[in-house]
Amino acid sequence: MPRKSWGGWDDGPYYEPSVPREVKNGLKVKSERGVIGETWWSKRWLGTLESFGMGTRLTRGRSYARKGQVISLDVEPGTVKAKVQGSQPRPYKVEIGLPPLTDRQWEEVTEAMAGQALFAAKLLAGEMPQNIEEAFQAAHVSLFPKSSDELETDCSCPDWANPCKHIAAVYYLMADRFDEDPFLIFKLRGRTKESIIAALREKRLTFQEEVQDVTPDLATTLAAAYPLAEEVKPLEECLDNFWQAGEDLADFRVNLAPLEVQNAVLKRLGDAPFKAGKQNLTELLTPAYIMARKVAEQKKDLL
Amino acid sequence: MIVLHAIWDNSTLDKPGLYIWAENSTFTQKSDRLTSTRRKSSKTKAASPSLHPFTAPADFLKLTLTEVIPAKFLDEAIPHTFTLRLPSDSGGPLPSPELIMEQEKVRTGMVELAGWEILGLAFTPEQGLDLLLKLPAQTANNVTFGSSIRFWAEAAKFFLELLVRQSFEPAILKTQNNGKTAYRAGWKIELYKEADQSRLETLQKAMPPVCRAFIPNPSSSKSAGTGQTAHPVTHPITPSELLNDFLNQTLEATLQRNFQAATGKVVPLVKNGPQRVTGDLPAQWVKGLYSYGETVLIAPPAEMKTFLGQVEGWLGQLKPVDSTTPFRTCFKLEPIPQDSSEKEEFVTGGRLNWVGPSAPPPWLLTFYLQANSDRSLLIEADQVWRERSGTLTFLKRQFENPQERLLADLGKASRMYPTLEKSLKSARPVGLTLSTEEAYTFLRQSAPLLEQSGFGVILPPWWTKPSQKLGLKLRLKSKGEGKVSSGLLSKEKLVEYDWQIALGDQPLTMTEFEKLAQLKVPLVQLRGQWVELRPEQIEAAIAFFDKQQAKGHMSLEDALKLGLSQDGLNNVDGLSVNGVETDGWIGELLEKLSYSSKIADIPQPAGLRANLRPYQLKGLSWLSFLKQYELGACLADDMGLGKTIQLISLLLYERESGLENNDSGKGEKTGKVKVGPTLLVCPMSVVGNWSKELARFAPSLRLMVHHGNQRVSGSEFEEQVAKADIVLTTYALLTRDEKELSGIEWERIALDEAQNIKNQAAKQTQAVRRLQARYRVALTGTPVENRLSELWSIMHFLNPGYLGTATEFRTRYSTPIEKYHDKERSEQLKKLIQPFVLRRLKTDKSIIQDLPDKMEMKVWCNLTREQASLYEAVVKDMLAQIEEAEESGIQRRGLILATLLKLKQVCNHPAHFMGDKSELADRSGKLARLEEMLEEALEEGDKALIFSQFSEIGTMLKPYLQQKLGREVLFLHGGTSRKLRDEMVQRFQDTRPGSPPIFLLSLKAGGVGINLTAASHVFHFDRWWNPAVENQATDRAFRIGQQKNVQVHKFVCIGTVEERIDTMIEQKKSLAESIVGQSENWVTEMSNKELRQLFALDRTAVGD
Repeated sequence: MPRKSWGGWDDGPYYEPSVPREVKNGLKVKSERGVIGETWWSKRWLGTLESFGMGTRLTRGRSYARKGQVISLDVEPGTVKAKVQGSQPRPYKVEIGLPPLTDRQWEEVTEAMAGQALFAAKLLAGEMPQNIEEAFQAAHVSLFPKSSDELETDCSCPDWANPCKHIAAVYYLMADRFDEDPFLIFKLRGRTKESIIAALREKRLTFQEEVQDVTPDLATTLAAAYPLAEEVKPLEECLDNFWQAGEDLADFRVNLAPLEVQNAVLKRLGDAPFKAGKQNLTELLTPAYIMARKVAEQKKDLL
Repeated sequence: MIVLHAIWDNSTLDKPGLYIWAENSTFTQKSDRLTSTRRKSSKTKAASPSLHPFTAPADFLKLTLTEVIPAKFLDEAIPHTFTLRLPSDSGGPLPSPELIMEQEKVRTGMVELAGWEILGLAFTPEQGLDLLLKLPAQTANNVTFGSSIRFWAEAAKFFLELLVRQSFEPAILKTQNNGKTAYRAGWKIELYKEADQSRLETLQKAMPPVCRAFIPNPSSSKSAGTGQTAHPVTHPITPSELLNDFLNQTLEATLQRNFQAATGKVVPLVKNGPQRVTGDLPAQWVKGLYSYGETVLIAPPAEMKTFLGQVEGWLGQLKPVDSTTPFRTCFKLEPIPQDSSEKEEFVTGGRLNWVGPSAPPPWLLTFYLQANSDRSLLIEADQVWRERSGTLTFLKRQFENPQERLLADLGKASRMYPTLEKSLKSARPVGLTLSTEEAYTFLRQSAPLLEQSGFGVILPPWWTKPSQKLGLKLRLKSKGEGKVSSGLLSKEKLVEYDWQIALGDQPLTMTEFEKLAQLKVPLVQLRGQWVELRPEQIEAAIAFFDKQQAKGHMSLEDALKLGLSQDGLNNVDGLSVNGVETDGWIGELLEKLSYSSKIADIPQPAGLRANLRPYQLKGLSWLSFLKQYELGACLADDMGLGKTIQLISLLLYERESGLENNDSGKGEKTGKVKVGPTLLVCPMSVVGNWSKELARFAPSLRLMVHHGNQRVSGSEFEEQVAKADIVLTTYALLTRDEKELSGIEWERIALDEAQNIKNQAAKQTQAVRRLQARYRVALTGTPVENRLSELWSIMHFLNPGYLGTATEFRTRYSTPIEKYHDKERSEQLKKLIQPFVLRRLKTDKSIIQDLPDKMEMKVWCNLTREQASLYEAVVKDMLAQIEEAEESGIQRRGLILATLLKLKQVCNHPAHFMGDKSELADRSGKLARLEEMLEEALEEGDKALIFSQFSEIGTMLKPYLQQKLGREVLFLHGGTSRKLRDEMVQRFQDTRPGSPPIFLLSLKAGGVGINLTAASHVFHFDRWWNPAVENQATDRAFRIGQQKNVQVHKFVCIGTVEERIDTMIEQKKSLAESIVGQSENWVTEMSNKELRQLFALDRTAVGD
């Protein structure tokens, strides 16, 4: 079999003599070509790795990641365990270790996070706060590894290069995972999003200076605030008003003026955490909204 | 008669869509199965449902629908049979309340739900949408909308609103693919905004239960073959499920159909099962969203799961964080109060006070938790942060973690409104300050987005007021335009005007405006008040003053139009009119027009032979006031309040007093003032009534009746008109005698029953508009404000051009008011017409106290020509025979009584006399009048009793009136069973809408023993010559406990025996009771000469 020169994976000191075995239902990164990692968050992860001077050794894992050579991937506190199918019949075992932060470090991090409502607000809204690393810096720790020394890697393949392409493939796949769930990095460092939120809640509660009771008046009003569930009478019990519309029907008012803010739903949605091909979802969906408005204008003439 | 219904089929067994079906009163389906399949057996056994006995067949239904909407909307409709569960008794399904059956039916047995097979037309969701939108607000005479079709029509309009506002989102929906759960691309209505939610609930609550009556067709169910499970299953579906299904299905169908049309691909008519597309999951999804039919997403389960999670997370951002908690997060924007000393200075300086970019941020956006049950209950963020426990507990209910809720909401909101993030840098944020630019962006862009996502947003009150924008201010001046000596102000008279540019209601000088325009800031503070300043408004203002002179003269009519409409709602060249300032007489005029109570009462005319009731005097004063300005007036008082006497008084009044006296309030008689003749146009049926009333109340007025065969023409017409005060003619003659009528310059044209010109395209409407008159009056008893095209037509006659052209009126008022139920437009229109329409209801408190509890009125009717010749033939025949007959013999007596009977029949209706079941329309003066009066009574929401001594009259009138009026008419006669009688009485007494409003009774059967107090009108179609018997009948409606005024209308044909006997009774009322007694035998005692006088027909009283 002639040597293939794609993916630049032949410029290392070692290369596998043959193509890896095909994997059914392997884990693939979503992007079929070009850059892996869509969000600023996964880009940050890959950027960190690149800054360690892994260079081309890292990019060698890309095609593995795209082809689905990674069979499994588990992120646990402190370690990432994966199985990667190489050219050998038995998949290689890959383990990447990144030490979790100590309880004390986490305490300092959450302390710093409690100082800005933004952290809790974003986390609760399901987003990774853009400035999350500031909180870690404040506690003199780093969320991402500061140097390659912090990453303890191991692969059962014969390749002595670090990273080997199996490890590299796992790095890429991790980027992909971070796209889906940015909070995996927390898990890797020893805490889940939920536990951070809970810790922040604790902090707020011990933060209080004075007791502020809800007044009885307030309490009464709030009790009534619970909406009653829709009660629907069975048809058998509607014989008296079977043909009768509710009184409000005659006054039901429609307002056919378009909203000032156009494509408001898309504006509220913002960018999707995924793309269709290379295209942004909101861009792809915009024509639908414009069309709807046009159709609605035509239908207004029916009235 | 046809009643249309609509059913939305949401079952998964069939293709979803809209079914239209109809009940039909004129024929019933011949269904053998109806008798063979008893409801009970269908309950226990698996019997297929019987054919509904009055469901209209599809072809007939289609034909009927073409009377309501254009045929092209029905082209693709497919006949479809389905099953509904309807309330039924042992005799079959009960008709809907809108359906008027030819015959009353006694309920038999228990009313229960039973399945019936319905014939209908099926429409796809998008065809259904177009059909529902196209439905007219009102139906043609013989077709009525049932509640279900009205409901779905409103739902369709709501859908259209959502589409206009782009309130929908992409979705991934569960579906079945080869028996397995699969996921498909789809669209969903997005309704998280609180106001939308509550409107959705309003619709749900208004859904008539019949909408839920659909049961999926057993034949299409998979188990149909077994025969055991085919019996109709109950279909428990809630209004919310049904409505949501309608909205979502219609959305998907509409969107995808139009995407396909836009891309030019052929649209498959039938969905051929799910289709697949290629690409990664997001790409598949997007392709599916844009294609017609079901697109199933294909991927390995793990990948699918991840993708579903991502999509859910992404779309989840549209949802309010949690709508079940008692609180939501709320943002309040307000300007930071200015330093008071600074404010003072600007006010005294009278200068603009704006805040430029250099000033410190003048706006504050604060965070609150807002109680969902009471929007005024706001908890400041600060208080939330200070709350120590993690749970708010009240009345055993808990609100977990209010702080977390607030934080989560802020995090979510910051996506839509990134500016928010700057406030989240602190541990316990309570709000942020905004620059004016930022505040403006928040107001226009971010606030709506936040609201749509379910957040509370409180904006400064001025923001939503239309009058707080750049607009115009109008000054109308009457300086130097004092009263003309004649006291009359022509409406062509010009009013001096002065347009000013204004921000809100603050006028600006041109220099100030230019300065403002140069500032290029969207929000400015003017003398302490914030106002919005949009660039497009600035441009409109510049264009306005380029095009138009700021000062000049306009017609009084234009001035009134601008002066009478609501501030901020009137538009001139795209600029709102924010205020109108007036002085002098124009100001006074506008004030009096807006508040008719400010018009001073004038004295009752001396020549009037009656005492005006207080409200009638007010009406006279109002008519007289409008006359001074030659403004057309519409007197629209309820039937029976005396519109006739008010108009007669006006004619007397203008002849008795010069207007110069009127204003000084002396009211002295200055003899007769020379006033030109009034042309009074009325329906043929009331000509006699007018003559009678004029003669009775104002004998001094010279009446010329231009009507009938003997009417004059040419120069003779002119001569007679010159000598008359009032010329009475009919609508029919407007076109026929247009030459004569248009040759006269009338002082006034008055229309009685002005609804006769409701059709603006009709010949008589066009003709009456062409007549020359100084000004116009319309009398009508129908509430014109509810029928907008009629209103326009009448107003266009009264004050041409005031409401714009018919097309302008439709776009600006009819469509928004009738179709969208637009309250503002409706209010605006009311304000515009209110000065020219005076409508008092007999139920008004102030009116009731002026009225007696029981009002008796004679209704004078004319005979038609046909009636007259029949009448004369009968009289001639009798006179010939009576000469032969013996004096006081039995034969003579019998002849006289028979003649009397025949004449009464002729007066009632030719068909009554001939007993030949011939057509009824347009052949009897009495019937024509009865129809008109019933129509008015129904418009006013009243119920009526109609008594006749002949049960044949009831038999004749019941189907006729039902058909004409489109309402159920009950009929009680001697042969009615006691059970049916009791049921009819009970139904008539029912006050709910839709209960039968008209009750025909034969005097004998209905005269005693029953209580019919729901009626406020009693008609005596023919007379029983004993007042006691009539009164007894009248008292069915007027009994102890009756809260309403009761109007009693006694029909009398002018110039006939009816009138003569009536006069005799009136002359000696007390005597009558003893003489006349219970029978008519006394007539037989009369001499031949007396009989001749009694029976002879006065030809002048015959109509056309």
